[in-house]
Amino acid sequence: MSNTRKTASAADDSTGRSDSADLSLAGGLTLLRELFIKRFRIMLRYRVNFLAQMLASYLFFAVLFFGGQAAVGSVGGNQAITETLDGVIVGWFLYTMAQSAYSSLPGNVTQESEWGTLEQLYMSPYGFGPVMVTKVVVNIFQSFLVGALMLGLILLTTQRTLAIDVLTIVPVTLLALVSVVGIGFVFAGLALVYKRVESVSQLMQFVIVGLIAAPVAGLSPLRFLPLVQGSSMLQDAMRNGVRLWEFPAFDLGILVGVAAVYSLAGYAVFLVCSRVARRRGVMGHY
Amino acid sequence: MRRMGAHTMGTTSKPPDGVESSPNRDRSGDGEPAIAVENLSKEYGSGDEAVRAVDGVDFEVEPGTAVGLLGPNGAGKTTTIKSLLSLIVPTSGQVRVDDIDVHDEPGVAYRRMGATLEGARNIYWRLTVKENMQFFSALAGNDPREMGDRHDELVTQFGLEGKADTVVRELSRGQKQKVSLACTMARDADVVFFDEPTLGLDVESSLDLRSELRNLVEDEGTTVLLSSHDMDVIEDVCDRVIIMNEGHIVADDTVENLLSLFNTQVYEVSVTERLDASIRDRLESTFDADNFERLPNATRFEVSVTTDEFYELVDELRSADLSVESFDAVEPDLEEVFLKITDDEDANERDRKATERKTETVSRATNP
Repeated sequence: MSNTRKTASAADDSTGRSDSADLSLAGGLTLLRELFIKRFRIMLRYRVNFLAQMLASYLFFAVLFFGGQAAVGSVGGNQAITETLDGVIVGWFLYTMAQSAYSSLPGNVTQESEWGTLEQLYMSPYGFGPVMVTKVVVNIFQSFLVGALMLGLILLTTQRTLAIDVLTIVPVTLLALVSVVGIGFVFAGLALVYKRVESVSQLMQFVIVGLIAAPVAGLSPLRFLPLVQGSSMLQDAMRNGVRLWEFPAFDLGILVGVAAVYSLAGYAVFLVCSRVARRRGVMGHY
Repeated sequence: MRRMGAHTMGTTSKPPDGVESSPNRDRSGDGEPAIAVENLSKEYGSGDEAVRAVDGVDFEVEPGTAVGLLGPNGAGKTTTIKSLLSLIVPTSGQVRVDDIDVHDEPGVAYRRMGATLEGARNIYWRLTVKENMQFFSALAGNDPREMGDRHDELVTQFGLEGKADTVVRELSRGQKQKVSLACTMARDADVVFFDEPTLGLDVESSLDLRSELRNLVEDEGTTVLLSSHDMDVIEDVCDRVIIMNEGHIVADDTVENLLSLFNTQVYEVSVTERLDASIRDRLESTFDADNFERLPNATRFEVSVTTDEFYELVDELRSADLSVESFDAVEPDLEEVFLKITDDEDANERDRKATERKTETVSRATNP
């Protein structure tokens, strides 16, 4: 037997093998790029499912909007729905993104378990946590893409006009989504330990609707819940044209603070759950 | 017949009673072992419901060798492998891969090791062969754009030319398992783990995959630890075999030594006469004779004998006035060895428990 043992430093130029794993920022960006590529390749190959999801979301909004408009119009109250139409559109825009950003991580965990690839993700030198955070970045990007597409379709359908200041909308939406991603991390952690958590997870969509619609006034404790502050600021930005720097510093502080606290707390719960799953030996189960 | 005792618990890789040191281990003086497992235990649950899946397992694997974990269902093979990979947190014990503590520094250890745990799964069926290799290479910290040659080499090595751009779900099961293997190798790992790598494959695909696994060791110098129910896989791929039963190691030696250790040889014996009932009974009871077959001019049967017993058999046949036409040695396979060892282990365990119960009864009687 010829035992030509490999070592990390013994590169073989003829095969193009690398000297060692690149775990620097550049390496992390390579992983991010590959996760993006993988996501969109898989999305492309499941394109019918993806298009059906988009269509279902759009039709749901159309039924809600036109059905509500017809119902209100039949009793002579058309003016009432027109006044709140912009609010409904912005709320729906945020809801589609928040729902996607929140549910995608526990969905990823369940799906990767079923595919048998979750343990492979765990065995990355980058660490399981960072790999999942990288997946979250891809998820949020995908959510933005879906949200933007949906917003365009809705605006076309309803013939409404909203202020689309990218420099304001993107950071506000991003921070609002990051807060809800924290909850996604908690459910992803529960999915690692308990596997099937979709039923509990689905209840969250009603909670998300409630958080988006929750009123923000003064020092209301509701402002410290995920999404609430972001939703209010997004309404102001898109309906009233308020720019990012025009928001009170206190509001911006709550937006950033809520995003940081919920995402970090959710991430911590996820790491604890992954250790519990490993202690119970159920990491790859489904 | 030599019996094998339970593996001695200890802090070093100590062979069980009656097992000679393997030649592979003797090379350990050249450097650190690729894998070192020390007093590994895993208990699921707690209190009365606790189940000890792995119990004080110690072993080492020399670099560039293949070691097989063999054992019945529930023996603790998968728990051992997953504990080695830090996918399961052990109750106690230490695992080092290339001298890196896997549980203290998993990130560093994952630069050196990879695993195929679920045969044809472990990869993305909606991606092509190359796309999978690119992804898993990046996941291991490599830049896939710089690994193109290596990926091409792996595609060729695993006989997947012409399939590189095919979506995995369109491949046969055997090809999928090869892709899974190729993706593990695309991580550029020195130490690889395989849990039941040939499970569900037809004979031809299994033989093909075994050959690929052996090539990893011989051509690439990769260290391989694999578990399998298939004794033939272990015989074909591994230099050494560790037999596990009920969470602990019951035998640990080279495949060759283990086969020779089981020094009972099966012979196919042909005699020219017919056997009467009395001699047949004696052969059955004394020499485990079976598979009796009456041929036109002879009688054929199989016996299991040690070297000493072989001469007794010859004497027995001679005293019964039987003329031996031929003795043919039947090649023993690892399955016989495995069944024999685990049966002996179970018998020892039953004896031990019976002794304990007896002692307890006596103790209660004397100390009511």
